[in-house]
Order: sequence, then C-alpha cells, then structure tokens
Amino acid sequence: MSALPETLVREFEELVRHYPERRAALIPALHRCQEELGGWLTPETLEACAEFFRLEPVEVFGVASFYPMFKLRPVGKHLVSVCHNISCALRGAEEVLAEACRVTGCRPGGVSADGRFTVERVECQGACTAAPMLVLDGVFHENLGVPDVARVLGGAR
Amino acid sequence: MTKIILNGREVEVDPKKPLIAACHEHASHVPMYCYHPGLSPVGSCRICQVEVKQGEMPARVVVACRTPVAEGMIVNTEAPKAHEARRQCLEFLLKNHPLDCPICDKAGECDLQDYAFQENQGEGRSVEPRRKLEKRKPLGEVIVLDQERCILCSRCVRFFEEVTEKPQLTVAGLGSRSVIATFGDRPLTGNYQGNVADICPVGALTLQAFRFQARVWNLSKAPSTCGECSRGCAISVEVLRKGEIKRVRPRHEPEVNDWWMCDHGRFAFPRLNEGGRLAGALARGANGLEPCELEDALDEAADLFRVHGRPLVVASPWLTLEEGQRLLALGRALGSECLFVSPEPSPLADDFLHTGDPCPNRRGLTELGFTAAPAADVIARLAGAESALLIGERVAELVGEEALAALPAALRLVLVDTHPLDARAARLELGAPDASERTGTWLNVDGHRGALGIARSAPPGVPPLTRTLDELVRRVEAGAPTSPTPGRAR
Amino acid sequence: MSPAPLKREVYLLSRIGTKDSHTLAAYRASGGYKALEKVLTGGFTPQQVTQLVKDSGLRGRGGAGFSTGLKWSFMPDPAKDPRPRYLAVNADESEPGTCKDRVLMEKDPHGLVEGILIACFAMRVRTAYVYVRGEYRASYARVAAAIAEARAAGLVGEKILGTDFACDIWMHQGAGAYICGEETGLMESLEGKRGHPRPKPPFPAGFGLWGQPTTVNNVETLANVPFILERGADWFKSLGTPKSPGNILIGISGHVARPGVYELPLGISARTVLEESAGGVWHGKKLKAWLPGGSSTGFLPGSAIDVAMDHDSIREAGSMLGTGAMVMLDETACTVRAMQVIARFYDHESCGQCSQCREGTQWLAQIFARLERGQGRMQDIELLSSLANGMAPGKTICALSDAAAIPTHAAVKHFRAEMEEHVRLGRCPLLAPGAPATHELEEAHA
Repeated sequence: MSALPETLVREFEELVRHYPERRAALIPALHRCQEELGGWLTPETLEACAEFFRLEPVEVFGVASFYPMFKLRPVGKHLVSVCHNISCALRGAEEVLAEACRVTGCRPGGVSADGRFTVERVECQGACTAAPMLVLDGVFHENLGVPDVARVLGGAR
Repeated sequence: MTKIILNGREVEVDPKKPLIAACHEHASHVPMYCYHPGLSPVGSCRICQVEVKQGEMPARVVVACRTPVAEGMIVNTEAPKAHEARRQCLEFLLKNHPLDCPICDKAGECDLQDYAFQENQGEGRSVEPRRKLEKRKPLGEVIVLDQERCILCSRCVRFFEEVTEKPQLTVAGLGSRSVIATFGDRPLTGNYQGNVADICPVGALTLQAFRFQARVWNLSKAPSTCGECSRGCAISVEVLRKGEIKRVRPRHEPEVNDWWMCDHGRFAFPRLNEGGRLAGALARGANGLEPCELEDALDEAADLFRVHGRPLVVASPWLTLEEGQRLLALGRALGSECLFVSPEPSPLADDFLHTGDPCPNRRGLTELGFTAAPAADVIARLAGAESALLIGERVAELVGEEALAALPAALRLVLVDTHPLDARAARLELGAPDASERTGTWLNVDGHRGALGIARSAPPGVPPLTRTLDELVRRVEAGAPTSPTPGRAR
Repeated sequence: MSPAPLKREVYLLSRIGTKDSHTLAAYRASGGYKALEKVLTGGFTPQQVTQLVKDSGLRGRGGAGFSTGLKWSFMPDPAKDPRPRYLAVNADESEPGTCKDRVLMEKDPHGLVEGILIACFAMRVRTAYVYVRGEYRASYARVAAAIAEARAAGLVGEKILGTDFACDIWMHQGAGAYICGEETGLMESLEGKRGHPRPKPPFPAGFGLWGQPTTVNNVETLANVPFILERGADWFKSLGTPKSPGNILIGISGHVARPGVYELPLGISARTVLEESAGGVWHGKKLKAWLPGGSSTGFLPGSAIDVAMDHDSIREAGSMLGTGAMVMLDETACTVRAMQVIARFYDHESCGQCSQCREGTQWLAQIFARLERGQGRMQDIELLSSLANGMAPGKTICALSDAAAIPTHAAVKHFRAEMEEHVRLGRCPLLAPGAPATHELEEAHA
C-alpha cells in the first residue's frame, strides 16, 4: 500500500492542528489528494488517507462516496460540470450540456475516448443569476451561449 | 424511575433508556428497524412511531427510539395516527424492495414481512422500476449480501463500529443510491460476522451456511448453551427434520453474551450432524467390539471396576454439573480420584466473548472437586493403569484417539462417549448423548449457570448420561458380582 | 394594502463597487472594523451585544428566518458550561436559485470576518470555522486571504485589538452535498463524516461540533452584524418591516431581463424587484410561475407577484421567503418540467437516512419525469400529493423531506391543469408536436 506523498503529509499535519479531533481534516485532505494524485480517489489513496487519519479504509470510503465532488472512478484530464438545476435549465442548460458533449465526444458522466474530458451533470453551483454555466477544472464559466462552449473547452489542453 | 402512562396503564420506566425500550419492556411491541437495544439509536428508519402527549401540548406522533421518557408522559402505541405513519413508512420501504420472499432465507422471521402485515400495508402504489443492485455478493465466507433487499437501517454498520469496535461496513453513496458495502471487495473478517445476519431485519445479510437450508417455520428451536468455550453463550439450537441441526443462534442473555455469539460457536454444529454414533453398547468379544445389551454392558463395567479396583476416572470437560455429581459419587464408591481432560487454550481468545478455554464446564467441574489434567498427563496415567473409565461427550477426541488406540489391551478401558473408538484397550463402550440431546447445567467462566436444552432425540439405545451414571453407581454400591465370569465374552 | 414606501439604503453591498473591495486596506478605508473596535473597546459585554442583535430583529438569512439574537442566546453560560464552544459559518450556499453569499464572500470578505468576530465575542466563542461549499473556489480564496490579512493586522488570533478577546477563524471545505447546508449535516461534515443530519433534540447550542456548544449562522446573517453594532438596532429596524427588519440580498434569476443579486429592503414588493431591479420578464413575455426563495419554497402563480418579500407575507401567500432567491418562469416554461428538475435535485441530495425521504424523493422524481415525458397517469397527480403528505411535515430527521414535499404540494395546487394536459396529450403541451423531449442526454445516477 502506497503512503501519502511527504508534501501532503506535512500539509495535513498542519491542517489537523486547526481542529480538536484529527478526523475533521479528512474532507479538506481528500480534496487535496484528489487534486494532487490523479484527479480521482483511488483505493490506494483512500487507504493511505485512512492510515494518516487513523481510520479504517471502509470509513474513509464511506465518507468519500457521500460527496459528489469526490470521484471514485477515473475521470478525464479535464472535468466539465454543467449545472442542470432550475435557473440554468430555464436558460438553456440542456443545450449547453449537449454542446459540451458534442465538443468533447463525451456522454454525460463518462470519459471521452481520448481521455481528455469528463462531462457531468451537476446540481446548483451558485451561479444562478449568470446562467447557464459550466465549471471547467474548478473554474466557473458563466453567462454561456452555446457558441461559447467550444471556446471555453477549447482552452483545455 | 420515571412514571409514564403507557396505553392507559401507569408504569415505571428507566429514564436512561429511550421510550421504545419502555414500550418493549411493557409488552407493547413497537416496530423497529434501525433501533436495536444493543446499538446506539439513530432514528433513521422512522418506523417506531407512537403517539405522545406531554402536558398541555397537543398529542403528536414521534419516533420512540429518539424520544426520552418524561414524567407524566402519555403514550399511545396504538393510536391510529401512529399506525398510519408506520404504514406510510412501510409503503416507502417496499417501493424498491424486491419481493424475494419465495427464495429468501429470512421469510418467516422477517421484520419487513411481519410489520407489513401488522400495519396492514398491502399493495404499494409504485409503478416505477425497482433499483438493480448486487444480489448475492459474498462478503467473505460467512455472510452473503443482497443490496436490493437492504432497507438501510445501518444496524450492521453500527454493529462492527460499536460492538466489535472495528468498522468493516459502511453505507456507500447517498440517498436512493445508498448501499451497504465493504471497502473494495474485501471480505468481512473476525470471529463475530454471523451476528450481522441475526440483526439484519430483512434478508439483506444472510448466512452462507444457512442459505436455502430450511424454512424457519419448519425448525424446532430449543434454548441451550454453547459449549465451544467457557463463556457459555446462551443459544437457540434449531433443528429441521430427522434430527438435523440447521443453525445455532444466540439468545439474549444480559449476564453473559447480550445478543451476540462468536462464529466459532455458531458454526460448530455440523459436527453434531455427523453420523457414526455409538448407539447402544459394545463389548469386546473374540471378534473385537460387538454390540451387546446395555444392561449387560453396565453389569460388566461394574464387575470390571470391582475386580480391577480404583480405575482411572477421566471425564470430558463437557460433563454437566448433574453428571459430574454422579460421577464423583461413582468415584467415591470406586476409590478413584476424578479428573477431567483439560484441552490446550484456544488462540481464538479475545476481549469480547471467546474466553480461549475450550471447556464449557471447567469451573463447574473444578468446584465440584474434579482435577484438571492435560491430555498428555491423562495418556501417561492411562499407560500405567489397570482399568479406566473415560466418560462424556468428546472425551476420546480430547484425550487423543490415536494415543488411546496405542494403549495396551491390558488397560481395560470403559468408554462412554458419543462415537465408538477403535482401540484394543477398549473393553466396553456405551453410547452417550451430545449437548443437543440432554439437559444439564454448566458453569461458565464467571460462575453463571448455563442450561442445556434438548433440541433433538439421542440415537435409539442412548440413555441420558445421568441415568447411565446412576446405573453404574447402583451396581458398584450393590457389591456382589452380577455375572459368573468378569468380562465374559458374548 | 398600500404601505408607506420602504426606506432604501444600501449597506451590505455598499463597498463592492471598487476593484479591490476585498482587501483590508479598502475595507478599512470605507470604515471597516470600526464596529469591532466599538464592541471590544467601547465597554460592551457579550450579553449586551447579543441583546442588541436580538433587539434589532435580525432574522437568519440562510432560509429558516430564525431570530439571530435569540439563537445566540441559546449558547450556555460559560460559567455553567466551560466546554470549548464554536461558531460554524454556513457558507454552503446550495439552495437552487441562490447565489448571494458568494457576492459577499468574493467582494466583501472582511465584512464577513468582522461579523464572525463580533458574533464570537457575543457568544464567547474562540474558534470559528467557515464551511464553504467545495465548488466556491473564488469565495474560499477571498475569505481565506481576508483572514490572513486580518491575522497579520492583529484582528484574528490572540489579543485582538490589544484586548483579552482571542478568536481563531479556520477555513473548511465542503464537497458538493446540499445536505451539508443543514446545520447538523454541516457539523457532521465538518467533523469529517458523511453529512447525515442529526435528530434534534439535542440542539447545536447544547450538543454541536464534537458534542460541544455550537451556533451555526449564515454568511449574510453575519454580514449584517457589524452594521447593527455600528448603527444601532433602531437604524436596522428603520429598514424593512417590523417583523422582517433590515435589507436582504435578493437574487433573481430565470426568465428575466437582468438577472442579478440586488440589495433591497425586506417587505419590498416582488413586482418591484422583478420590474425595477430585474427589468421585468424577458422578451416581453408574461410571468407564469415563480419561486420566492429557492426551490424549497414552492411555486407561486404569476398572479401572486404583488406579494411583499418578507417572511409573513409570503407565508400567507402560501410559500416561504427562504433565501430570497426568486426564480421566474415565463409563459413558455413548463411547470411540470420545472418540477421534474426540482424533484430530481432532492432525489440527488437526500442523505438517505430516513425511509420516507430516501424513497420518497426518488419516487417524486420518477413521477414528475414520467409526467414530463408524457408517460404520466391521472392518478399520479393524487399520488404526488399523497406521497408529499407521507414525507412532511416534521416526519423526518431534517427538513429536506419537507423541502421536496412543499413544492410538490404547491405545483399540484397551482398547476394541476398543466399536469393533466401532459397526461391527456401524452406529451408536454408546450412542445410543438413531434419536437424532441427537452432532455435527451440522461445518465443514471453515479
């Protein structure tokens, strides 16, 4: 079983000092693991976190699986999240989603054949007054028209 | 204690326990899934609805497992609103539940079936497709998981967290996609896995060993005590037909094991279903051990002991107190010290239930006056003895069948056991009942009295061991030989 | 009813006009941290601060509208309960239609920091956590930077402004679960667990983070606090209505010309918001249906647009103020499709603990999806109401079940005819015959 990289261990040791109980830093730590260790939480990563947080792997797995932002299966190099909730749906979210799928060659929830993209449906991201929108690698792109989609996603290499 | 009015009766209840416990203790069975008296209450299943009225507040329907009792509380477990709330809950639970009853082991003892009938939840209104999940996933060698049947009560998750203190299961995902899972495809481990099949209210977690083995309403169930270690967990021995034990489950015993037992004890019963029992009696004749009348065998045994005095008396540690008392009387009459064979400690010892001592009645026999002797000592003493009585279920196995077979023919061994022994030293062999075939008492490691119960009949020609002992004592005390030639052949 | 015109005064968003509004320098230049100074060096006791906030009538801006000062007063007396105690700032903003806390966090994070510090003083808390939804990277970065600036300036940490008051503020991230905006779900998540709401009682002030006294407050609620301390309770009550004083950040989105977040007095007419702030329904269309305060509050018909945007008025009209997130549907919008989207949301977000919510939210979503596709039956409409009655009110550990049931009831009440049309036609009446269904790219829930 691989351990966490030393840089993350040092980061997490600092993080846990903010809380009276070690486990409280788990979710911020999982975010960092996902960012640094391949874009998704592999079983090895979950086990390594379990060891750091002095938990059983099944507990870390149970936590990670609860949260939509944590990916427990491989994703493309770039994550494209299109909000399909009410304010965005009223202003063309489905067309944006369809265009994102066309541009990337993805089906919603899947990975594109070239591995570059995953396009997913997400719930309200808090950009309702700038709808419709998508999130590319964590960055919000708002007030999208269908023609904007290719431009925004084209920037992702 | 706190006074509440429960279904019109004033009762005194323990304020440290939730209302649902008070209801159950006063014969009002409020339905429950996520609640279990041995686990922390979570209040998630929402089935334990009762109506409660407190002071001037209007009556309201609450979940009894998360409601503390309060002085003067008026509780109505049968209020129409409470029943309606439970029925609604059941319709929700049955929406995705696969109606596997015809093939589900839990049928007949399933809380979903039982409460659906009790609360009159008949036909559900859903026309939506049911979720498709893993249906026969082994979680190791003991448990099979059916995720579709699961109603997500989370008892199994809490059992491993709180009782064994090592989490092994989790709810994975969330909402309508929630499932019970281990990490990856890891199997469950440890000596307590079987308990989750007991506490699962439905057929989501079942025992591989019991899969498709029996319909529970065809089982006859006898309360008894487990003999696999000196904890003596209270058990229920459950028999199908032709005396075949199909499963053993723990009974609730707050002084010993609460609601739990270990897998070692739970799955020890197949040994009891093996054939080759010593039914009746065998005596050594010209052609080896041959069947004989039990009465004659008893006569010969008494004669043998009188002639070749002071036999080595070695009991099985499975002997009950009642049997032990009689054996001591026999020992006194014969002038023999009484030993019991003391097996090696078991590596299964843990800080929960398994004591690591494979003797179910060490304490009882010791307190009666027996002396514990390791198998090697017993063999050594047998080698130098003129005669010997080895008596009790599994005594030959525990002393060592190979070692016994190697003893000289001159030993004149009388064996009283469940199975015959092929040994030249054996002169007489009499059948004995096993733990599922007799009553009696064991003292566990803490001195708690555990009762054995009769779950099935002993093979024909096998009397209770107490009776065999009474007969031997009577003959020995009577004195005169009963046959002209001691140990004559038939 | 023709009330006196409401006083218009912008304070929450008064500082965000400049490019560097998020910096300490800009904040100080516009009078920031004067309230904190007044509290710490002006002879206020913690109880006095709490009383002032109570007197102001400030109600929580996270959706529940509970009196903030009253909630603060639930924290036990430290002399009687000396355990560590916490403030958790609810920056999980996930109610569909709602995007106003992020404006404060991105553009005026010091306002939030000052509000946190004053709240901690009042409740004698020395550790606060800001639980930011995982997707709000910009908000997280801005608030974290503001805390760092404040710490460097001696405003966070030990001996704040040279007094005995000490307070640490730590950032914390969520990871995409709406239910973590529920105060006990938030606490479970902050503790590093699945975000399962806890049964109440016990309440957070008695048993909160790690079992210790905790108050959970919304971002916008806390942003009001420095202004109340600086300008007084009477000033605050001069804005809004007697039972709903102060300003509120109203986000208006959907079929309007100028969607946006606008700071307006509580009690303002929804029509004023729609027409003056948001430029009216777009493309010259008519208003068919609208949500006053996020998807949990339930649709009102277009005809109800003259209701005042305050807690009581909207409740009387049959909905709730919630987060003040107005979502507007024009005559081309299908309310069944809108409910399909909304019901799908609750199905996705239910934590799954309670039987009625776990199964019910999925069931509602499935029924609305069938209705929307033209595969509904007449009895589905009664079934929707019956299921919603089984899910709420107050039948579950938390109110997500209610949040799914309430808009269901409202939709059946106001738009039954449109549902029946879907059943009769076997498709959405607003789609041209032969046009494809509005959402073809479905995926199974992961």
